[in-house]
Amino acid sequence: MSDYLSATGLEVSFGGLRALQDCSFTVERGRITCLVGPNGAGKTTIFNVITGFLRPDAGTVSFQGTPLDGMKPQAIVAAGIARTFQNLRLFVDLTALDNVVVALPSQTGEEPLAAIFRPLHVARAQTRHREEAMQILQHVGLAARAGEFVRNLSYGEQKLLTVARGLATGAELLLLDEPASGLSASALDQIMDLLRRLQTEGKTLLVVEHNTRVVQQIADEVLFLHQGHLMARGTPEQIISDPALAEIYFGGVI
Amino acid sequence: MLALQLLCNGLATGCALGVVAVTFSLVYSTTKLFHVAHAGVFTLGGYLAWSMTTRGTPFIVALVVAVAVCAATGALIQAWLYARLERRHATHLVILIASLGTLAVMQNIIAAIYSPNILQFSLSWASEVVAGGGSVRLTVIQVLIVVASLAAYGGLMWFAHRTILGKQMRAVASNPFLAEITRLRPRRVHVYVMAIASAVVSVPGVLVPVDLGLQPYNGVTPLLTATIAMIAGGVGSVTGAFVLAVAIAELQNLSLLVIPGEWSIGITFFIFVIFMLFRPTGLFAAVR
Amino acid sequence: MDFWLSYATLASIYVLLGLSTNLLVGIAGIFSVSQAAVFGVGAYIVSYLLMNEVTSFLPAMLVAAVFCVLLNVLVTLPALRVSGDYFVVTSFGIQLLATAIFTNWTFGTGGANGLPGIPPADLFGKTLDSTTQMVELCVGAMILGCLAFWLIMRAPFGRLLRAIREDELAVAAAGKNVLRAKVSAAAMAGAFAGSAGGLYATFLSFIDPSSFDLDASILLLTMVVVGGARTLAGSIIGPFLLLALPQVLSLIDIPTTIAAAARQLIYGVLLIAFMLFRPQGLAGEKL
Repeated sequence: MSDYLSATGLEVSFGGLRALQDCSFTVERGRITCLVGPNGAGKTTIFNVITGFLRPDAGTVSFQGTPLDGMKPQAIVAAGIARTFQNLRLFVDLTALDNVVVALPSQTGEEPLAAIFRPLHVARAQTRHREEAMQILQHVGLAARAGEFVRNLSYGEQKLLTVARGLATGAELLLLDEPASGLSASALDQIMDLLRRLQTEGKTLLVVEHNTRVVQQIADEVLFLHQGHLMARGTPEQIISDPALAEIYFGGVI
Repeated sequence: MLALQLLCNGLATGCALGVVAVTFSLVYSTTKLFHVAHAGVFTLGGYLAWSMTTRGTPFIVALVVAVAVCAATGALIQAWLYARLERRHATHLVILIASLGTLAVMQNIIAAIYSPNILQFSLSWASEVVAGGGSVRLTVIQVLIVVASLAAYGGLMWFAHRTILGKQMRAVASNPFLAEITRLRPRRVHVYVMAIASAVVSVPGVLVPVDLGLQPYNGVTPLLTATIAMIAGGVGSVTGAFVLAVAIAELQNLSLLVIPGEWSIGITFFIFVIFMLFRPTGLFAAVR
Repeated sequence: MDFWLSYATLASIYVLLGLSTNLLVGIAGIFSVSQAAVFGVGAYIVSYLLMNEVTSFLPAMLVAAVFCVLLNVLVTLPALRVSGDYFVVTSFGIQLLATAIFTNWTFGTGGANGLPGIPPADLFGKTLDSTTQMVELCVGAMILGCLAFWLIMRAPFGRLLRAIREDELAVAAAGKNVLRAKVSAAAMAGAFAGSAGGLYATFLSFIDPSSFDLDASILLLTMVVVGGARTLAGSIIGPFLLLALPQVLSLIDIPTTIAAAARQLIYGVLLIAFMLFRPQGLAGEKL
């Protein structure tokens, strides 16, 4: 059986710094996999490589058996992988709804000629897309805030919106970069609830997370990354109870 | 014989362009700004020197004053305009437009004062022939341009690598954030960089018009050629920019054998297109 | 000719140019000082086709628009692939090269003396030789241009471009092709500028390189900066205001020798002042 997502022998270096060294791992379909490790372990670098923002010096990533080598970010999204960013990168001058609509795939009127010569057709399609986006917002619990500009949303709401934008692309594998960091307890519950619901709906999630409580509650599997290399994998309990890993994680290894 | 003469002319123009390219590159790599108004500073130097020499000021004094005024102008552009815009988190595009506006202001103040027509220096020593004679001549001013440009280039390299301010400049260029937290004060370094670049670029800015005459809008083409040299040489490679500037000027001059002079901008741009298509990182791209 | 009619006609043409510059600079975020060159290419193509009686007015306009679209795509594509700053060089280069061609290619463009005797426009077999008809044509073209711009900006394409202005990386992460959107904007800008060129040539019946040089490009940029980026209102206000400037200047007693320099000086001051104090222009969004 071929793996859902597999990375083999990834190497990335920035100048003298080796961000990933012979990094290999797999992600299984329909599960929530958490990527943990100390700062600088290469977690975000892995996201950048998978989503085509960064070309690895060596190694390959394949998705459902197809290698993603050399594919542009937009092609990888079309293949079914979407991501969020740790620093959110929302379009702050657009409304929450528009942030979601932007990400809906292949819309009529994304080309200027169609916009000019078939305005009615475009307008009808837009109504449909807005409804679609509204449903996604409803799903993440932001329907009431749809018309609000992003800069007026709370941090927790903005985090939910990044997930909504990822969902809008139609991707089945979502890479979430620290979806729970910096959130209040109630917002934390909301987002964990959302992640579990997404899983039951058939999405696969790869999540970078620091909060061990969150990892324990949502992860089916944990990948432990250290100095750009996969050090261990297992259930949350196995990883957390391993004293050697705890030493690396909390012991301040630079 | 004509080819030899053209090579000599090309060497003089090329070295002057090299200084424009190197100073532009210095500003570009430190401040990350595409400092279009550099062309205005280049032009300003020539006009200042012209005003003074026609009133009987000795050339060397005029040169020194022009260099000083240009340095101050560069520092002011940085401190009053670019730094202010950066503090407001203006986008790159906004700063670029402001820089273009500055260029337009400088050029047109000059044009309003001195008229848009071509002006010539009347310095008899400048056109005396040093070497050659007959059909190939190398004039005093041409030799002076080459010597001064090489000296400016050498001085800038020495400065960047051997002095504390130079090292700070390079540190700011390579990592502005780190420079900020290690209290190198990038903002102040940027002002120094602009002052130095403007001072140095005004040297060919004064010398070249002694040979070829002055016009208010004559800074744009040299700047374009210099930026092309910078890109073709590889952004970040100072030597690359200088070498390419000389090479482009030689090519331009030799092309006069077959193509009339008014098309030389075409040659320059053709070189740029070739580089964009086949080697966008430049010949001497800095190893990352 | 009646001053107001002539002003309205020229302003209509410059609104098309303002829309063009706004698409490229305001919306796609590409710094351009070569819009006047594209404008000129459109003007010379239409002049050539009409003077040699190759086609009638509308097909000539179409040829000019298509040619300018291709030109803009060809110019922006390589520059956008590498780095934004390279486009500054490309843009200056294109403008200077175009000026060299307009001035020196005497056979095709009439050289520095320009092309006199360009025939008036015609529509459906009827020659538009009165000023009023020409005014109607240009105002009509302006309205069509504004309508097209408005449709573009309210369609998903407009939303995509606004998102790109905010965060290109996030747009790519949302699965959209940033490069294609920007090149499309540049293509539209080419069509607008090319058509404006055709109208300009037939309206004045004389063109020369001075209308299409670097200073003209700076004027176009100033129009968008003063009017305001990314809005229809901005693209209309800017041209109407700045075209009135020479008239205002003529009221003040400025020697004719420095009139051109004074005008350009004001454009420069406006560029700096608006960037410092009002980057959104009079009626636009922040650049």
